[in-house]
Amino acid sequence: MNLTVFSQEQKMAASEITSFKATVEKEAKNIKSLKTDFVQYKHLDFLSKDIETSGKMYFKQPNLLNWQYTKPYQYSIVFKNNKVYINDQGKKSKVDANSKMFEKINKMIVGSVSGNMFDDKEFTIAYFKSKDAYIVKLTPKTATIKKYINQIDLHFPMRDTTVSEVKLTEPSGDFTRIIFKNKQLNAKIDDSIFTN
Amino acid sequence: MIRFLQISLLSFFLISCKSYQVENAVAKELSTTEYKNLYFSDSKTDYVYKATIEVYGNQLSGIFIAKRISDTTHRVVFTTDFGNTLLDFELSENDFKVNYIQEDLNRKIIVNTLRDDFRLLLRIDHPVQEIFENDESIIYKSADKKWFNYFFESKTDKRLTKIITASKSKEKIILGFESKSTIFAQNITIQHKNIKLKITLNQITN
Repeated sequence: MNLTVFSQEQKMAASEITSFKATVEKEAKNIKSLKTDFVQYKHLDFLSKDIETSGKMYFKQPNLLNWQYTKPYQYSIVFKNNKVYINDQGKKSKVDANSKMFEKINKMIVGSVSGNMFDDKEFTIAYFKSKDAYIVKLTPKTATIKKYINQIDLHFPMRDTTVSEVKLTEPSGDFTRIIFKNKQLNAKIDDSIFTN
Repeated sequence: MIRFLQISLLSFFLISCKSYQVENAVAKELSTTEYKNLYFSDSKTDYVYKATIEVYGNQLSGIFIAKRISDTTHRVVFTTDFGNTLLDFELSENDFKVNYIQEDLNRKIIVNTLRDDFRLLLRIDHPVQEIFENDESIIYKSADKKWFNYFFESKTDKRLTKIITASKSKEKIILGFESKSTIFAQNITIQHKNIKLKITLNQITN
């Protein structure tokens, strides 16, 4: 199936890809921290409405990340020193189970923010552009990841070098879409944000 | 000493063989032969809950989604908070289909336990063989394969508040419901007695 027919997306030319990558990578080097709101839509074909959750995300170089849901419930997950700390509505825990999956999620979020995405050995990468955004599509190469991810789309608005939207499509065709809003680059973030 | 042992063994035998009975409940006339659990019965509703599964000291968090997709069948999906699907089942009283299950969870004991729990939670029609009552509830007893399910319906507002699954001699699973109507339960707990497993579901509204 040719997706470009349906979505008004064009493949980027080789020269465009080179300059796009260079810009993102260069700008990413200047990112010391990032703070943003997000809205997450979980789409399942058999439901009448997507499931909407929202919250805030904090990132600080080199590898501090807090992914925090505030609506409709409180749940936050902190990645720090290669450990995962969870605060589930006040109940705290440190997670080892499923850590492989969390590690991948962490790598993907940090990677898409810091621009370390493009030489990933685990994904085949294709570059597209629409009217107002560059779209990077990652398809997993390994059987392990293929089991739960079919494709990841990252949207970079034309005048921005960080991701504004992530869409994660599962093998079933169901997907999760995350939209970032009110992004602040290099704002001061206290280290206490990364304790759960 | 031998006598003491005999008494102990005998009393152990007597206690363990005591057949299961709901406390302080008395038998009532069998006024109906069917009990309906309507909490997951509406085919137009997306039933979405924040889920916490506590199993042998580990805690797993995510989102539990159920929908009635035909007269007899429900679809059940459990995802992480990030949205990754962990399991996707279709089940009815007699049929069971796994659309997807994450590798780490794909163990027979896990799949079968969750299948049976979800089946009990979602099934609408239950044949009734006996009816009891206590101060608060009318209790409908329904045979289910080798076990029995007891449905506790509040006398004041006719809502289902509890299901106890028991063998002939003891309780196996207790389901608790908090609801604002007879057709939707906001908070649900599924507590196992013979394994350390507790599932808590709290409704999410967007």
